[in-house]
Amino acid sequence: MSDAAMERREASVAGSALATVAVAVLLFLALPIIIVVPMSFSSAESLRFPPPGFSLRWYESFFGDPQWIEAGINSVIIGVSSSTIALALGTIAAYGLVRGDFRGRTLLESNFIAPMVLPPVIVAVAFYIFFAKLGILGNYLALIAAHAVLATPYVVLLMSLAIRAFDIRIEQVALTLGATRIQMLTRVLLPNIVPSAAAAWLFAFVISFDEVVVTLFVSGTHLTIPKRMFNQLVLQINPTITAIATLLIGFSIVAVALAAWLTRGTNTVSGSRRS
Amino acid sequence: MTLDAEAARLTADKRALPSATIRRPHRVVASGLVWVLPLLVFIGVGFNLPLLMTAAWSLVDQVSGGFTLANYVDFATSKIYLTVVLRTGRVALTVSLICALVGYPLAYWMTGLSRRGQMFALGIIVTSFWVSILVRTYAWIVVLGNAGIVNRTLQAVGLTDKPIPFLYNEVGVTIGMVNVLLPFMLLPLYAAMLQIDPRLRPMAYTLGASSGQFFRRIFFPLTLPALAATFVLVFILSLGFYITPAILGGGKVPLIANMLDILINQFPRWNLAAAISIVLLVLTLALYAVYQLLRRKT
Repeated sequence: MSDAAMERREASVAGSALATVAVAVLLFLALPIIIVVPMSFSSAESLRFPPPGFSLRWYESFFGDPQWIEAGINSVIIGVSSSTIALALGTIAAYGLVRGDFRGRTLLESNFIAPMVLPPVIVAVAFYIFFAKLGILGNYLALIAAHAVLATPYVVLLMSLAIRAFDIRIEQVALTLGATRIQMLTRVLLPNIVPSAAAAWLFAFVISFDEVVVTLFVSGTHLTIPKRMFNQLVLQINPTITAIATLLIGFSIVAVALAAWLTRGTNTVSGSRRS
Repeated sequence: MTLDAEAARLTADKRALPSATIRRPHRVVASGLVWVLPLLVFIGVGFNLPLLMTAAWSLVDQVSGGFTLANYVDFATSKIYLTVVLRTGRVALTVSLICALVGYPLAYWMTGLSRRGQMFALGIIVTSFWVSILVRTYAWIVVLGNAGIVNRTLQAVGLTDKPIPFLYNEVGVTIGMVNVLLPFMLLPLYAAMLQIDPRLRPMAYTLGASSGQFFRRIFFPLTLPALAATFVLVFILSLGFYITPAILGGGKVPLIANMLDILINQFPRWNLAAAISIVLLVLTLALYAVYQLLRRKT
């Protein structure tokens, strides 16, 4: 065999070894979803894979349990309020960070991103001590505020990108044509960043909806879906969780796909606008 | 408005335009500070203040209420805490190593796929990334349990006659953490690999390099800073992990985060918990600085 042929053979062996490892790792990543979704439709009393038969009993047991429903309602209320607060404050701040010119901008930006960077448990301990000292541990509004703090970094990051991508000259034109700053923002900038804002809101909502650690520390008696899931997982293995897990998987995929689609929309909009 | 006035306005604006473009781009808001203020107050009160209070509390004696360094001394000298710290370090290191060992080949393999193949692989990674950590951790109970798929397969094949305990020990915790943290390594690593000029490969081949040589001498060294950065990132994230060790460790494999939970919620030793949090915070920030430094090199 010639050197070149040998080398090619070696390369193809290395190539198929690489492909095997890569596919195995992808499978490992997808395994939880591959397992949980079919099991949620299982008719078996215990967790068995593959499931012996099809049934919707675990979905019935989820929707028929007032405590799960209460947890679901709480999760939605907390998610909607905290992501709305985060979107409002985060967007306004992102405008200042991108278009403003003041000292300490990067420092402020790092500060706003910090809740995302720090381990949740540190934030949880800090909230716990703070809320306990103020006497508002377990307070519903405090819980919403805590979630808003955690969701803010995602809004600041996404909205900074969106505002930066919007051509500043269009803002300048609006201002030179006599628009006030508020008119320019509400009639020129905002309509153009609505898709990004919707995506940022969705991300913030998913972050809040998934949040466990901080919620466990500061929520007191209030239940959320992840909190009740966690409590159940520590105690016993309940197949109802497979149904919730499947609903959560579906929810995450839809939310993130929607957000991705929305932000893709902005790029095309700003792209076509520039041309 | 009359047509004339309209025309006058337009010409005036035409004259105004060039000067507007000459101005430095981000001078539109002379002081953006006003815009940042609401969030600054919110984060200042809702985030910075709690952290500062934690720092203050770590320096307070729980009984007398006076200033003390005893909480830090306690943490540094007690054997129980040392065990947990060492375990956290060991698990974090193992998890980051495994993530690097399996993540790098996958990311590299993806760069060679067709566009559609890359989208498909990315889809799996991103989906896994966004699926609730509780769901993923829960799945591993089912997979790794005594009657789980792995154990039943091993027994069916005849490799073992009684179930191997994967759960409620470090093995299970490590597997679960790798599953959760792998996307954090894969996504930036893959992005960094895509940054590498694709013309380098044919160039190296023209100069006589084999594909193995190209990888060893050009591609790998160029992606090394990114690999190091993602390694540090996964390590940082592992240090504060709470959910996976709590569930897959079954209380037998507490990491620092679980220890903090016990100190806060079971026997209230808030001041000690505050001190441990602050140590973890400083360590995280220091490692994060290393991560940023490495990332800038990519």
